[in-house]
Amino acid sequence: MPRGQKSKLRAREKRHQAQEELESLMGAQATTRMGREFRLSSSAHFSSTTQSSTAAETTSNTHWPQRATCTTTTAAAVSNVRANESTNNQMEERPRSSQAPAATEHMTRSPLDETVFMLVHYLLYKYQKKEIIIKADMLRDVVHIPRRYFREIMKKVSDHLEMVFGLDLKEVDPDRRIYFLINKLVPTWDTKLSDDRHVPRSGLLLTILSVILSKGNCATEEQIWQVLNVMGLYEGRRHFIFGEPKKILTQDFVRENYLQYQQVPNSDPPCYQFLWGPRAHAETTKMNVLDFLAKIYDSVPSAFPAWYEEALRDEEERAQAKAAARARIRAMANAHSKAMCSRSSHPQ
Amino acid sequence: MQGSARRTGVMTDVHRRFLQLLMTHGVLEEWDVKRMQKHCYKVHDRNATVDKLEDFINNINSVLESLYIEIKRGVTEDDGRPIYALVNLATTSVSKMATDFAENELDLFRKALELIIDSESGFASSTNILNLVDQLKGKKMKKKEAELVLQKFVQNKWLIEKEGEFTLHGRAILEMEQYIRETYPDSVKICNICHSLLIQGQSCETCGIRMHLPCVAKYFRSNAEPRCPHCNDYWPHEIPEVFDPEKEREPGISKSNRKSLRSRRH
Repeated sequence: MPRGQKSKLRAREKRHQAQEELESLMGAQATTRMGREFRLSSSAHFSSTTQSSTAAETTSNTHWPQRATCTTTTAAAVSNVRANESTNNQMEERPRSSQAPAATEHMTRSPLDETVFMLVHYLLYKYQKKEIIIKADMLRDVVHIPRRYFREIMKKVSDHLEMVFGLDLKEVDPDRRIYFLINKLVPTWDTKLSDDRHVPRSGLLLTILSVILSKGNCATEEQIWQVLNVMGLYEGRRHFIFGEPKKILTQDFVRENYLQYQQVPNSDPPCYQFLWGPRAHAETTKMNVLDFLAKIYDSVPSAFPAWYEEALRDEEERAQAKAAARARIRAMANAHSKAMCSRSSHPQ
Repeated sequence: MQGSARRTGVMTDVHRRFLQLLMTHGVLEEWDVKRMQKHCYKVHDRNATVDKLEDFINNINSVLESLYIEIKRGVTEDDGRPIYALVNLATTSVSKMATDFAENELDLFRKALELIIDSESGFASSTNILNLVDQLKGKKMKKKEAELVLQKFVQNKWLIEKEGEFTLHGRAILEMEQYIRETYPDSVKICNICHSLLIQGQSCETCGIRMHLPCVAKYFRSNAEPRCPHCNDYWPHEIPEVFDPEKEREPGISKSNRKSLRSRRH
C-alpha cells in the first residue's frame, strides 16, 4: 500500500538529519570533492575496518600490520576524518552504521587489501579525468599509508592496474612523488573506437611529434609553427576542425602529457620549445613516428639513416622492458589463478 | 560449473582493452558491447575465436572480484533493453558521477534522486527539482543553471527526461541500486517478479504490488486474461511487448513500442 504523505515526510526529515550529522562528522571542510566522496564511501561501509588500515597520523605505525581481520567496531580512529575525530561515537546513529558489523563479519579483508583496492579505484578515477596523481593528495584524500608500507602497496596497486586494466603507473618526478597512468596496450591510433573527438587530433599530434623527432628530439616553437602554417594552422586563428591551435599545443597536449612545453634555457626574450611528453613515449614509438614522416616524403624510414638508427635503438630498449614486465605479470597471474582454483574447488 | 572453466581469470590485452573501453563509455547497450568485443579481438588477437559474450564477461568479472568492481548487466526499465556498465561494488554514494560533476551538481542529483524515489510514478517534475535549488551544498546555483545541469545528467545517461519529468536512467539504477536500497530503505520500491529495485513500473490497484514493464511483458506474455500474481485480481494495465533483440538491432527503433509501454503515471 502506498505510504501516507505524513509518514513519508517524517522519514525524509529523519533521513536528512542523519545524513547531515554524518556529513558534518566527516568534515564539511572536505578539501576536495572527490576526497569527500571517497571518504564517505569508504567509511560508510568499512567504519570498523578503515580504522585499522588507515593509521592515524599521530599514532599506530605499529598497530597497522597487526589487525589482520577487523572485528572491533569502536569507531575510534576513522582517521580519514582529520578534522573531527572526537565525535565518532555518534556514528552509531547513522542508518547505515548497523550494517557495518555485519559487513565485517563475512568480509575478512586485510587492511592491506582494502588500501589497495581503494587506491585502485582512486587511480582509475584520476585516469578517466586524465589528471596526474600527487602522492600527498592521495594520502590525504583516500587513505593514509605509513611510510614503510608505501612501496609495497604502490607496487601491488600498480600490478593490479597493469594486469587487469592494462594501465601503467609511471612516476613523473621521483622527488615530488607525482604519478600518472598511461595506456599500456599496443597503440592503435588508427582504431580509436571510443574517443571520436580525438581522431582528428592524433593526426595533428603525430605531425608535431615528427617535427620534434626530426629536430633532434627538441623543436622550438617557431619550427613547429612553420610546419603548422603550411597545414593551414596559425597561432591565434581558429581552425574549423581543431579550434585555436596554440591552445591545443600548449595546453591540451601538455596537460595530457603528450608534449612538454618549456622555455628555452637562457632565452631572452623568452622563447619556448617542445619535446615529446612521457605519454607520447608510452603510447607510440620513434619508429611509428618515423614511419609517418617517411610516408609524407613518399619514402621509407631507412632513407633517414640518423633517425632510423635512433628509432632502432628505441625499439630494442622497449623490447627489453616489455620482456621484464611480462615476466612480472605472468608471476602475478599464476598467483591469482592459483587463488581462484582453490576458491572454486567446491562445487556450485 | 565446470572446474576447467574456473581456471580462467586470466586477462589478455583483449580483455583489458574491452575493460578500458567500457570504463570510458560508462554504459553500453548489448549490441554495442558485442561489437566492441569483436573490435577488441580484431585489434589484439585477430585469429582467436570470439568468446561467447557471457563467458567473456564472467572471465573478466572473476578477475575484477578482488577489486570490488563488476561488469553488471541490467535491463532498461521502459523497454527491456539489456545494458552493461562497469560498477563499483564498494561504493555507497554517488561517487561514480564525481568524475564529471561539481559538488553542487552532485547534490542536485541527490535531491532529484530522492524525489524520484519518493514519487508514486517514478518521475519527478522539473519544477519540483528546481525548487530545491536553494538547498544545495557548495556554490550557489541559479534555476537556469540547474536546468542545464539536469540536461547534462540526461546527456551523460544518469537521468531520462519525458515531457518535463525526470526519472533514473538504467545506468543510474545499475550503478546505484545498492546505495539506493541502503539509503532509502523505507521508500524504495521492489518488483514483485525479479525482486530488484523498481523506479518505473505498473502496480496492482488492489493490493499495490509492483512490476517492471519488461517483467510484466514476460510474465503475461500471450496471456489473454492477465491477473495479478499476488491477489489474482484482473490486471488493469496494457501489457507491453517483450523486447526482442533479433527484431530490433538498432537503438531507438522500439520507440514505436514506447508509447504503449508507458502506462500508469500520475
